[in-house]
This record gives sequence, C-alpha cells and structure tokens, in this order.
Amino acid sequence: MLNTVNQLNTALFKDIDACLNALYRVILGKEQQVQLALTAILADGHLLIEDLPGMGKTTLAYALSRVLGLNYKRVQFTSDLLPADLIGVSVYDPRTAAFSFHRGPVFSSIFLADELNRATPKAQSALLEAMEEGQVSIDGETHALPDPFFVIATQNPQTQYGTFPLPESQLDRFMFRIALGYPEPVVEREILKGNQGRAKLADIQQVLSRDSLLEIQQLVPQVKVSETLLDYVQRLIARTREDDLCDLGLSPRGALALIKGAQCWALLQGRMHALPEDIQAVFVAVAGHRLIGKQETRGEQLARHILHEVDVIGGSH
Amino acid sequence: MFIKGFPQDKQITYAGMLWLLAAQLSVMSPLAFYLPVWLIPVLLISAAWRIRVMKGRTEQPGIVVIGALGFCGIAGLLASGIALVSLDMMASLLMLGFAYKAIEVIQRRDGIVVVLTGYLLVGVLFLYSQSILTAMYGVFAMTMLSGALIAIQQSAQQSIGSNLKLSAIMLLLCLPLMLVLFVFAPRFAPLWTLPLHSNHARTGISDQMTPGDIANLSQSEGLAFSVKFNRARPDQNQLYWRGMVLNYFDGNTWSQFQEELDPDVEKKTLQTSFSNIADRLDKRGEGIEYDIIYEASGQSWLFALAPVVSLQGEALYGRNFNIIAKHDVREPMMLKLISYPDSRRDVALADMLHQQALQLPPDGNAASRELAVRLFKTSSSPQDFIDSILNRYRQDAFYYTLRPPLLDPQHSIDDFLLNSKKGFCAHYAGSFVFLMRAAGIPARVVIGYQGGEWNNNGEFLAVHHYDAHAWAEVLLKNRGWVRIDPTSMVAPQRVEQNLQAAVQEEGSFLEAKIFSMTRNQWLNGVRKQLDSVQYRWRRYVLGYDTRQQAAFLKRLLGEVSVGHIAIVVGTLFTVIILIWGIVLGLFRKQPREAIEHRLYRRFCQILQKKGIKRLPSQTPQQFCRIATAQLPAFNQDITKFTETYSTLCYQPDRVSYQQQIDIMKRLLSKIRKQR
Repeated sequence: MLNTVNQLNTALFKDIDACLNALYRVILGKEQQVQLALTAILADGHLLIEDLPGMGKTTLAYALSRVLGLNYKRVQFTSDLLPADLIGVSVYDPRTAAFSFHRGPVFSSIFLADELNRATPKAQSALLEAMEEGQVSIDGETHALPDPFFVIATQNPQTQYGTFPLPESQLDRFMFRIALGYPEPVVEREILKGNQGRAKLADIQQVLSRDSLLEIQQLVPQVKVSETLLDYVQRLIARTREDDLCDLGLSPRGALALIKGAQCWALLQGRMHALPEDIQAVFVAVAGHRLIGKQETRGEQLARHILHEVDVIGGSH
Repeated sequence: MFIKGFPQDKQITYAGMLWLLAAQLSVMSPLAFYLPVWLIPVLLISAAWRIRVMKGRTEQPGIVVIGALGFCGIAGLLASGIALVSLDMMASLLMLGFAYKAIEVIQRRDGIVVVLTGYLLVGVLFLYSQSILTAMYGVFAMTMLSGALIAIQQSAQQSIGSNLKLSAIMLLLCLPLMLVLFVFAPRFAPLWTLPLHSNHARTGISDQMTPGDIANLSQSEGLAFSVKFNRARPDQNQLYWRGMVLNYFDGNTWSQFQEELDPDVEKKTLQTSFSNIADRLDKRGEGIEYDIIYEASGQSWLFALAPVVSLQGEALYGRNFNIIAKHDVREPMMLKLISYPDSRRDVALADMLHQQALQLPPDGNAASRELAVRLFKTSSSPQDFIDSILNRYRQDAFYYTLRPPLLDPQHSIDDFLLNSKKGFCAHYAGSFVFLMRAAGIPARVVIGYQGGEWNNNGEFLAVHHYDAHAWAEVLLKNRGWVRIDPTSMVAPQRVEQNLQAAVQEEGSFLEAKIFSMTRNQWLNGVRKQLDSVQYRWRRYVLGYDTRQQAAFLKRLLGEVSVGHIAIVVGTLFTVIILIWGIVLGLFRKQPREAIEHRLYRRFCQILQKKGIKRLPSQTPQQFCRIATAQLPAFNQDITKFTETYSTLCYQPDRVSYQQQIDIMKRLLSKIRKQR
C-alpha cells in the first residue's frame, strides 16, 4: 500500500516538476515567485500579485492557466466596473417571455482580475462571496462556480494614481500575495532580445490534467506537519500579535494558510513532510498583506523582521 | 523628526519627551517655593524649544547658543541675590542645569541623566522641608521620574496609566528595603555644615513684652510645640510652659536685660551648668517625665514646665530655671525632659538677683506706687498683701479682652489699673509685678505658654501660638519663687480651659484670620487628625535619631551588637530579595524545552565556541551547511547530528524517540571532545 502511494506520489511529483519547468521557460529568473504562485493554486488558494505595471503579472497569471489547462477568463478592472459585469445579468427573453441568467466572466476555473484595486469597493466586493464560498448569488438565486475556481488578481501598488485600497477582509481571502520585482540583468537581456515573454505564451502546453490537479489538492493535507513545527508556527503567530510590533496580527485563517502553504511547498520540493524551511519560504507571502505594522511599517518588512527574530529551535514537544 | 548623526533607535520619542517634561515639572515645582521661581519658565521654554526641534520647525541650537544661555542663567542666579557659597546657590545651579538639559535631551542616555538628576533634586527638596506632605509629594515626584525613565526606554507609545502603574509597583517593591535602611542604617552626624537658608523668619514669642504683643500672637494658630507625657497628664491649669523671665521694666516694656543685646550674647549670659541649678533647688514632689517636639521658630528660647531637672537633647540649662536650645531651632527638635514643678527655687537668693527683682523706673505711675505702698502698710504679711491685690483684680470691674484700649505710654500702669481696667495677660502680669516691686517684694514677669490642646487621637498635647501667656513670679521667704497668675483672677476660663473659652463672649479668638480651621468645629476635628498624623511623623520619623535608634533596636533585639544587627539586616535583605524574586517571577518555572531541543542548543553552544554562531532564524539544515563549510573536519558528525535532530523533530513517527536521543547524545560528546 505504502509502495503504491509512493509510486503514485512519484508520478505526481514528476507532473509538478514539469509544470514548474514549463512556467520557468516563460517567466525567467523568478523561480521563487513562480513556485509560490503554483503553490497557492495547488493549495486551492487565491493569489494576489502586486507590482508595478509591466513586470509580467498578467503573463504569470496567463501562463498558470495554460499549464493547468483550465478554462480562463480575464477582466480588466476599472473604476466604472459594476458587479453585474463580473457575475452576470438576468436578461428578458421576448421569445420565452422570461428572464434568463447570462453568466458573467466569473464563471470560469481561473478568473484573472487584472488591476483589481482600480475598481471601486462595490465591484471588489462582488468577488468576496465567490472567493470564499465558490458560488455567487444574484436575484435571490445561488449559482455554483466551477470546481476548481481560482482568483488570480493583480494589483498596482497603492501609491499609484487611481487605486482603491483593498479592505482587510478581502486581503485576508488571498492566500498569498507575491511581488515579482525587476528582472536580473541577464534575464532582462534575454527579454530585450525578444526570446522571452508573451511571444512564448502561445507555446505553452497543458502539463497537468484536471484529475492530477485534484489528486494533488487531496495530497496536500497529507503532508506531515510535526508538533515541533507547529510550535515554531505558533511562536511566529504569537510574535505578530504582540502589540509593540503590529496593530493587526495574523488571523487564524492566516495561520491556516501558512500551514497549508508550507505543506504544499514541501510537496513542490518532493517531500511528504514539512520543514521549517517550508514555513519560512511562504511566511512573507502569507503574512505580508495581512499584517499592519505600527508607524506605517510595511507588512512585508514586518514579516521579514519577525522571521529573522523568532527562533526556529525550541518548544515543549 | 530625528536628529541626523545619532542612532535613531536610541533617540527619545515625542511621548518620552512629554513624560520627561512632566517629571521635571513635578520635581521643580515645590523647589520654586525656596529657590528662584524663574527657573520654571526656563524649563518650559527649554522643553518647548526641544519639541519644536523634534517637529522640525527649528534647528538644534549650536554650542555658541548653549554657551550663551548657560552664561545668562548663571548671571541670573547671581543677580537673584543668593549667597555665592550656600546651599541655595548649589541647589539653584543644579536646578538650572536640570532645566536647561531639556534642550539637549536627544538620546536615551541624556534622558537617563535628567531622571537621575531629578532623583537627586527630590533629595534636595528635603533639605528645605521635612513635613509629611513634602514626603508624600516626594513619593509622587519619584513615581513621575520612574514613569519617565520607563517611557524613554519604549520605542512604541504605551498608555500613561500603564507606565505610572509600573513605576508605582517598582517604588512599592523598594519600600521594604527603604524601611530596613531607615531602621538600621547608622545615623551619622553631618561631616560638615552648609550655610543653610538665611531667610528664615522668627516666629513665636519675642524676648520682650509690650502690652499688645501677646495679643498679636493670639491671632496665630500655628503650632508652637507638642508634648507627650510618659505618665499621667498634669491638670490643665498646672500647664505653665515657662519660657523667658523678664526682669527689666522701663515704664512701658518688660525685657530680659536693661540694654538691647545680641541674642547670642543673651544666651551666653543666661546659660549655666546643671550643678548651679541643683544648688539653688530644693527638689520636692513627683517628677513629670515628658517629650517635647519644638517646631521651627528660628529662636533659641525653649518652653518647659519649671524647673527642669533632667534633659536629653540639644539644649542647655538657663539661669532662671528655664532651658535654651544650643542652636536656633530651625527644624523640629525633640527633647526628653523631667520637671519637678513642686520644687522650691532660690530659697536663698543672691543679693544681685534680689536687686534685679526690685528694679523699677525712677518715676512715672505715681498713683500705682502710692496704691501699693498704702495696701502694703495695711497688710499683715506679704502673702496678705498679694491676696489683697489679687482680690482687687477679682472684685473690681476688671475685664479680660483681646481688644484693649490704648494706654498712656508715660503712665501705662496707672492708666490700666485705675482707668481702663481692660486688658489681657500681659496687662495683668505687668501691673501685678509693678505693684509688688513698688511695695518692695521681689517679683518678675514670666512669659511662655499656658495650657494646650489635648489630642485624643495621638495622645499628645498640642500647644499653639495662641496659647501664649504671661504671668508673675514672686519671691517669698522660705518658699522661693512662687508662681502667681493674676489673669486667672479675672478670666479663670483662660487657665482652666483655653483662650477661646475666655474670649467667647467677645468673639475675638483668631478674629484676624478670615479662614480659621480652629474656629469651625468640624474643620477643627479634621485639623486635630492632621495634627496627630504630623505629630507622629515628627516624633517617629524625623525624630528617629541615634538615641531613638539605639532605644528602638534594644527593644527589638534585646541586646545590640554589630553581629546581632548584621544577622538581622542580612536576614531581612534576603527576605526582601526573595520577595522581589517572587514578584518579578524570577523563580517561576519556565516551561522546559523538550530534551532534543536542549541537546541541539548545547550543540549550538559547542559550535559557537568553535567560532560558528547560529542566528535564531537559521533552520537546522541551513546551519548545518554553514557549519560544515567552516569546519570540514566535523562534516560527518555535524551532518549526522543535524539529520537525527531534524528527523526527530519533523518526521517523528518514522523513528524511535529514545534511540535518536541516544544517538544525539553520543554525537554531541564526540563533537565536544574533538579538537
């Protein structure tokens, strides 16, 4: 039995590696971010990518959907976007003399919300139910969304003109927030030569079947998290809640996302048990957008500081 | 705004600055009563300056500006008229620096300097005042200072209440230590004396009596002294607190000496040895033992039941059976006295003194002289003569009042005895002694206090300035000096009860005071309570000197020896430290870490000795990579140890716990031994 599981796992690990390699070819030099993005999807979580315009956010989101072979829709968020533009609308059909519901773009497996924070809070809130419950309600009717359903949102830094800050409740629904950052000089040279980027997007083939994806998602909770590791996680969480540092600490939902993210990360590394390294790898992505520091410290800085401070070793278990 | 060039995390925050300012204000405010008041605005301006700098509105002042400010400050102090070498000058300089420092508190260590100087200034405050209120205020100031000390160490702002609470707890923890030090620390006499504040006013009875003086004193409700009787309290009408003897009369004013003398010279003239007193005394009756605490009066005259036969404390015997302080009483002073009021004094009086007690001005007051001679002739004995005079006071229309009419200065006695017949103790005592002398009987005026207010709460007698009194002493054959109080003939309530009862009808008791706690009955109760607290404070706290300490320690320990005290103090210190430990949680059991973590920590310690330090954020694998790279010789063992630990921690169900622990222990001792 153990053997078959291992064999099965080995096959899945291979699939995951293939996925990653396919993505690396499109997004050069950003292994860490690509892994985090894939981790979020495999762990059944939503992903928020924050960066300046033109850093390859959309490319990453699109590449992900291609690799996973999922039905993909994209909406550019603007300040005049309405909830109906996302969810859909009931239209009167004169032939049947009845209203019929026209599904909006949110009815897709991967929903790319581009520049999410350019929309008004009203439009943003239309996504809340979809992200948490996997369904939408309109005119008193509830419509289930496809399974799996992922939201990949990109946002511009809040210092840019024409952005609305996302409320904490919505931020908390994103499992990870990642930033891409400027490419390395070598990589940039490749991009400038034109060997890179959107041109290659069309070449991407589906690597992971829908079944494999669901199997991996079921495998994630089986990754072993030991008591000692939980001690470490609790030390980290406790530190975010100490009042000399943060105004807003990590919520239990955030803590769960941390563990699930670490489990999935371990899986990506080909392990069935989680290590402190896995926690550290996903901690900033999990905590960065959830923590609110005193004196306007940025959440990421705070998360890095906490990571640096808290001892990995120790615990009563 | 932070100042460039200083490490930011060591700078004082805005909240810390406000805390410091509040603490500085609370320290300086009471001292402003004694030292130049303009030092407080200096503090406020300095702090405002610093806060403007913090907000980025101005620049931090340079060395030239600071120098100029310092120069102005010192010039200001010199111009304030403080003596150059004096305590006032030293304290003022300290205050000036303290106030100016507010401009320069940039870093934490500056703040610490301010707070420590503040503690010193709280101590300086006690050089000026030692009342219980000052002590309470001192505790408040210390709490504020400690609160500021806490606040400047915080990088993020905490609530004012929580800081104050923490600082109060800290002070509370110091309380037992303070008590032990108070009780046991040796009381050294000062090694040097500083010229203390020179501007102290004199209060209390003056050494002259012009009718009118004592009436002024009667309008003061200040405390003169308080008395604790060791045994039964004598009757109220026997409480004649004898002060000065006034022998010389110039027709208007009674004084101790004919010419005006310097108080120091007077003191020297009047002081005598105990053997002199003993020679002139025929000790009779039972002794009264009592402790007196004199309030600061700025004078040397002390008041006691005469004659004092035994005294302990800083006082001398006086020639007229009175006592005199060795130094002017500038702070509360306690004496332990034994008096024998029934004794006979000067049964055989020296001629010179005899003459003194008969002195009268050559002329004036003819009618009174004539009256005295006439009455004396018709009397069978001096005692009979005295009785007939006293009868006159009782039966004639004499009236006790604190608002007497003005008397003719040339013939004041005549005017009083024959015309106005209205007056108070000074008038009665003065006229009585005049009549005695005119008839050839040696007599003298004695001034002091009579009676006092019994405080039931504190079981002590409080004598106030309004208890001031004057009476007479007459020298009778075989009986020596006999006390006679003519006032008691006119107003017996004055002696049986108090002044308030004597002038009740007139309503002149403390009439010059618009607000008097003594007059209001309810407030009087409160005042008595306060008096009682203050009395205890003076007696047991301020009065705790070497003598009292020795007595107390003897009662506490039985036998007082250095070894004994060392054992007791050592034990108390240990107990206090234990209490601190418990309160601060030093003995609270930390939840113990599991054995594998402790082994891993030991592993880290061993490697640290070999020069590789693990950061808290390094995982075992990361540390292992670093360590093996630097110590290739240990490569195998370190890798194996890390692997074992890692497996035990993160894949615990794959291995046997005890087995892995054993492996770790073995590897650990191997790594430690290996060079």
